[in-house]
Amino acid sequence: MIFEQILLQIFHNFNQERTISAPFHLLKGKRSGQTIQDVGIYHLHKFFSILPKLSRPHYDEKLNSLIEEHYLIVHDEGSYELTDSAREFVKDGEKYYFNGWYYRGNEHIFFARLSLIVQSLSHHGAGRMSFTPIQKDDHIQHWVRQFLLINQYKEGNLQKTLLDEIVGSLESSKVEERAKSIVINRLAGFQTAGLTWQQISYQENLSEMDVQLIYISTLHSWITQISNHPEQYLLLNQLAKDIRVVIPLSGSAHQTAELFRKGYLIEEISHIRRLKVSTIEDHIVEIAMNDPDFSIEQFISKEDIKKVMTAVDDYNTRKLKILHEVVPHLSYFQIRLVLARGE
Amino acid sequence: MELEKVLQHHFGYTSFRPGQKEVIEQIVKGKDVIALLPTGMGKSLCYQLPGYIFNKPVLIISPLLSLMQDQVDQIKQLKEKRVVALNSFLNATQKKVTIQHLHQYRFIFISPEMLLQPQVQQKLNSMELSLIVVDEAHCISQWGFDFRPDYLRIGEVMDKANRPPILALSATATQKVLGDIESYLKMNEPFTFIHTVDRPNIHMGRVLFQNREEKLDWILEHVLETAGPGIIYTQSRSKTESISERLLQMGISTAAYHGGKDTLDRQFIQQQFIDGSLEWIVATNAFGMGVHKQNVRQIIHESIPSNVANYMQEIGRAGRDGKDALAILLFADGDDEFAKFVGIDDFPNEVHVDLYLEYRRRNESPSTMIQNGEISETAYRVLDYWMHQIHPNEVKHQLLTMKTDKIRAVEEVVNLIRTKSCMREKLVHYFGQNLMEKPSDCCECCGLDYHNIIQKRESFEQDETAVSWKKRLETILLGFS
Ligand SMILES: Nc1ncnc2c1ncn2[C@@H]1O[C@H](COP(=O)(O)OP(=O)(O)OP(=O)(O)O)[C@@H](O)[C@H]1O
Ligand SMILES: [Mg+2]
Ligand SMILES: [Zn+2]
Repeated sequence: MIFEQILLQIFHNFNQERTISAPFHLLKGKRSGQTIQDVGIYHLHKFFSILPKLSRPHYDEKLNSLIEEHYLIVHDEGSYELTDSAREFVKDGEKYYFNGWYYRGNEHIFFARLSLIVQSLSHHGAGRMSFTPIQKDDHIQHWVRQFLLINQYKEGNLQKTLLDEIVGSLESSKVEERAKSIVINRLAGFQTAGLTWQQISYQENLSEMDVQLIYISTLHSWITQISNHPEQYLLLNQLAKDIRVVIPLSGSAHQTAELFRKGYLIEEISHIRRLKVSTIEDHIVEIAMNDPDFSIEQFISKEDIKKVMTAVDDYNTRKLKILHEVVPHLSYFQIRLVLARGE
Repeated sequence: MELEKVLQHHFGYTSFRPGQKEVIEQIVKGKDVIALLPTGMGKSLCYQLPGYIFNKPVLIISPLLSLMQDQVDQIKQLKEKRVVALNSFLNATQKKVTIQHLHQYRFIFISPEMLLQPQVQQKLNSMELSLIVVDEAHCISQWGFDFRPDYLRIGEVMDKANRPPILALSATATQKVLGDIESYLKMNEPFTFIHTVDRPNIHMGRVLFQNREEKLDWILEHVLETAGPGIIYTQSRSKTESISERLLQMGISTAAYHGGKDTLDRQFIQQQFIDGSLEWIVATNAFGMGVHKQNVRQIIHESIPSNVANYMQEIGRAGRDGKDALAILLFADGDDEFAKFVGIDDFPNEVHVDLYLEYRRRNESPSTMIQNGEISETAYRVLDYWMHQIHPNEVKHQLLTMKTDKIRAVEEVVNLIRTKSCMREKLVHYFGQNLMEKPSDCCECCGLDYHNIIQKRESFEQDETAVSWKKRLETILLGFS
């Protein structure tokens, strides 16, 4: 269900301008110019790389069932269109938060660290000094060992502090209760095995794919919640370290982004960097395209954003020149910002 | 030296199991050894203990990555830090560092692919080893069942003049395989210890069906009425899923297990099975190695195994505690044809040989065949190995022979199933041994009443109230202190 909704949403955003394979590459996080550009143009940051292991047969199978259920009509030349029932269906899926562009699968590293820490602390609490670690990766094992030493696990308070942090941060995360259960059910400890995907799927009456999507979505919101409160969740913030991917901007845009973050205005940055204002504006557009959390409302009002979007719809175009004729009171820069966001 | 003292000190066991002492004594004397001990009898100890007698590293060649991980974990549990696994999981830097420090370890696990790499060879040549172990040595035989070309090449590195003794370990090997092990590994008049393959506490049942579809109903009914814990073996991943789904719907705590499951899932299943919260596992033959559960009471084969040795391995997971257990094979007409098809489906043929030559002629790498979808990766490995060993015409012949062998292996299983005399006797004969004594309720042919062996299933009410996530987390973190 959720998977189908996500697929349709991606198709919806692509606005019939991409092939039937484009969502597949997006979900797998293909590092090609086309896919990366599409992320910005069609505002698909959420879904980039959330299913790196998705197989083509599985994708095709889902695609076929969407066609059979009359959500999607595929024409002979390979173009497609969404039906009205699809548009309704899509809305339901929007409640799941994803931030694939930022996390790129690293949420699994966060969870691996967490699961080995929890398993270790559970055994330590039970007085068991040796056990078979459920995370086999050397990097993870090494990292966790350091973590336990730095946080003085031997004193015996770590269990309680960690428990409080996990409960506190999960409680204030905006996700459903069953989603929290799914994540916690994947943890194991002394004499406590975790639940398999099959078991959770049976318990929740969801497909395994949907369970995994909810799991990923929950990790994304949770880690975001943790990172937004660094002083409140001291331990969990250590786990969340280096989990977000630094936004892959071009070198020069990156420097602009740094200065902008420090509070400099476009003109000032242009002066400091001895670059033309238009170049700095290019950078800002690139940042807006790559960073979904970057607010463009600091450059253009909500109403004007709407006006540009309406123009895009009315004239069914993304050509700057035409749009500028429709909303002449806005600069090219402002229009480009709106297009960069695709909304 | 008193071996019992070393055993007690490092492993905490009071006595050796049959075969262990005999094997270790010979190794200590410097002799090559072939040891055939049934699954779960403690083959690992045969090289672990010498590791504490010698002052030089023990090198263990191990065919399966997951198995290697289990063995490393097992040794680490003994508080041994000087153990390392050299396999394709390592990245370039990890690999380099590991190789550099190789001589400092007590136990070095290595995959056959790694063993053949020049850097590894160079390092191994510059250091001294106390013992070379080839685990699951039946893989080495070209007539063996899990054909692994890299395994065959181990022999190439065994050729040195002053090499340490070699220990070849296996649970199942026919006379033919035994001979192959000895010659491929270039062993020097090895001492051979063969434990009897018969497991008198495992009773061998068999049920015949008109068609394959009837099996599922039989399984559902049987599982509902009789007690586990048990394993149902079937041939495909999708079947493990669909059968387990049906059992779950009937309220039987079950899990599907196959090579495609993620690592956490696999560990959760093993742990749940061992702690008793899972009654049944529905698995492909990927399940078993490295799982040490003592009280498995039933094994059901939904599909026939591809050869007798696999059958032996798989039923051997039952009754390790020495108490009675039941193994039932379900057979329908046409199963053998299907098993043959599956067996040779992923095998190179004449066309592939020609294609390979064609690529060579065009000065292209033949491995492009894989990318072009003309051959599977496993099939290519087999083909590539032989193309380097013998003339192309001979390769065609060789492949044909191997294919025939696979088909014959399936037929041997069918013979075992169709026999009117004693299944146990037939099985033991297959491994070149004689059956001394038949237990009561021996097998389907000799007369076997399942109810004498297994219990009725007590339908225990499962606790349906799921604990809240907070409670669960609290139990894990604070519940045991
Ligand atoms: N002398 C002994 N006394 C008690 N337990 C032992 C002894 N030797 C081995 N064991 C235990 O028996 C179990 C099985 O050992 P091991 O893994 O070596 O079996 P194996 O023969 O290699 O089986 P497989 O064919 O499945 O690989 C282990 O848990 C091991 O600790
Ligand atoms: Mg073993
Ligand atoms: Zn018999």
